[in-house]
Amino acid sequence: MTAAQPTARHDEKPKASEEGAGGLPGELMIWVLIISELVVFGAGLLALLATRLTDPAGFAEAQSHLHRVGAAVNTVVLVSSGYLAALAVRLAAARPGLARLLLILAAGLGAVFLAVKASEYAALFAQGIGTETHAFFTFSYLLTGFHAAHVLAGMVLLLLVAVRPAPRPVGVAAAFWHMVDLVWVLLVPVVYLL
Amino acid sequence: MKLHYIWAALVGLSLLTATLTAANPSRAGLVLGVLVLAGLKSRLILRHYLDLSQSPVWARGFDLVLAFVLMAFAGLALAA
Repeated sequence: MTAAQPTARHDEKPKASEEGAGGLPGELMIWVLIISELVVFGAGLLALLATRLTDPAGFAEAQSHLHRVGAAVNTVVLVSSGYLAALAVRLAAARPGLARLLLILAAGLGAVFLAVKASEYAALFAQGIGTETHAFFTFSYLLTGFHAAHVLAGMVLLLLVAVRPAPRPVGVAAAFWHMVDLVWVLLVPVVYLL
Repeated sequence: MKLHYIWAALVGLSLLTATLTAANPSRAGLVLGVLVLAGLKSRLILRHYLDLSQSPVWARGFDLVLAFVLMAFAGLALAA
């Protein structure tokens, strides 16, 4: 029995001919996931804004209880974490050890994000504010909680691929992480600022 | 463009968003300013973190959809 001949190296960044539909960079399935998640969060944010039309004053008052500074800090934390993940993708082939460190640091910033988010939830709970307090909080807990679950999933992915940081899996995990980043950038204005 | 420039631009746009919000502008100014800044950040993430700059057709498609979504956000926010 002859050993299987390798047809493609799995430790190289995909070239244009290996890319997804119509030249999408990276894996096609991760783009399907990214687009699906963006549609789900986009629909949720549009639903929040549409529901707000029924009670603008109540929504504005409810929104004033959220911690905008925490949201701003978390934005900087996530875009910085995304930077580390993007660097890891570029270094995975040539310097896997450094890529591993960057992935662990990126996941660490994810933990910082969740800690800030947990403190925000704790402050709201201390004021007796729950999902039933007002329709705004139903949406904000749902959207930010669902997003936080994605942050946790992304951290697990980053740490898993950090064990053996080959370019292709690192690229997939980083793409998921950037999607989490992108959703947060669109979520903050609607939930916290407008 | 080098990644650290993209990171610096994203942090800068985030600080601009915080500054704009703290400046307490008119409702329309806040809505349009914050959403334009969010659009710019999204575009940077899509093109440079997610590498869509390698696929100009897809990048333009995402830009178009993003613009429609942000306009819908702005319309609903200003109607409230």
